[in-house]
Amino acid sequence: MRAETLKGHLDGMLLASLEAGPRHGYAIMEALRAGSGGQIDLPTGTIYPALRRLERADLVQGTWAEASGRRRRVYQLTPAGRHMLDAERGQWRMFSAAVTALLEPAARPVTP
Amino acid sequence: MTGGQLINAYLAEITAALPGPAGARRDIVAELGSGLLDAAGAYRRSGLPPAAATAAAISEFGDPREIAAAFRPELAASQARRLALSLAGTGPLVGLLWAVAVVASHVAVRHAPPWQWAGTPPGSPVIFPVAAAAILITVWTALATVAATGRLTRWLPARPRIATSTAAIAGYGAATADLAILALLASQLISAPSSLAPLPVAAAAAASLARLTLARRAARQCLATRAALT
Repeated sequence: MRAETLKGHLDGMLLASLEAGPRHGYAIMEALRAGSGGQIDLPTGTIYPALRRLERADLVQGTWAEASGRRRRVYQLTPAGRHMLDAERGQWRMFSAAVTALLEPAARPVTP
Repeated sequence: MTGGQLINAYLAEITAALPGPAGARRDIVAELGSGLLDAAGAYRRSGLPPAAATAAAISEFGDPREIAAAFRPELAASQARRLALSLAGTGPLVGLLWAVAVVASHVAVRHAPPWQWAGTPPGSPVIFPVAAAAILITVWTALATVAATGRLTRWLPARPRIATSTAAIAGYGAATADLAILALLASQLISAPSSLAPLPVAAAAAASLARLTLARRAARQCLATRAALT
């Protein structure tokens, strides 16, 4: 999947990857890759600026923490981030249902 | 090159292409470095020899120029926000110090109650309006910068170009206000030096002088970061 296709949805996917608990940057990337069956494969370096942007908007909180012998910047959802994720999820369901209904020939009602 | 050297060279290329204060850049580069070690570790666990694992991690992260370009608007917005927030925080403090200096001079040195106004320093008809306008501009541009770079960016895209401009205006506005008040103090010192309470006035003047220097430098850095945005 190309970066441009993902552009509007990256924020939502980053928030979703933190729903289960805090993660550091590379673990977020691995979660995106594994969760999408390898379909989402961005240059890993590009998710770090996106995380900083979400942090400035107070949707995630990043803190340096010692984990397995090395310092890593660990991100977690803020309450506002959780709300935003719910909102994004609702919007995505409506959008994808509408696009599926329009694109899938089988989904179209058949008139005799 | 060893794995560590490869990573350092890659990170140096990103650092060189990043604008803004050194502290913010160091933090970003430290995080990227830690991510690269994670990635190299994952490749090693999947069976690659160390050197190849590091090379694979670097190629997975992507073109250093692209990463730096993606960070630039973010750095600009956070730099503008930091300047605006520090002005909003120090403004009332500097104002309070001057208020204390004026009241202390009035009460302690002139032995008059505050409501018996003894007149203003020479030059005030010109300097007061300048200071008032500068303070007004500073307050509004600082507040606008804070608003535009914070939670609002959840729904609206951040405009780093505008944010760095408004933050720089706020910085220069604060510096102008400090300069105007210090000029007023100088004119009072020349015309009636014995009318001032030395300690409170020195404290307020030191605070204004410090903020003048820092605000001007931070505003200049904001404009440099703005110029680096493409």
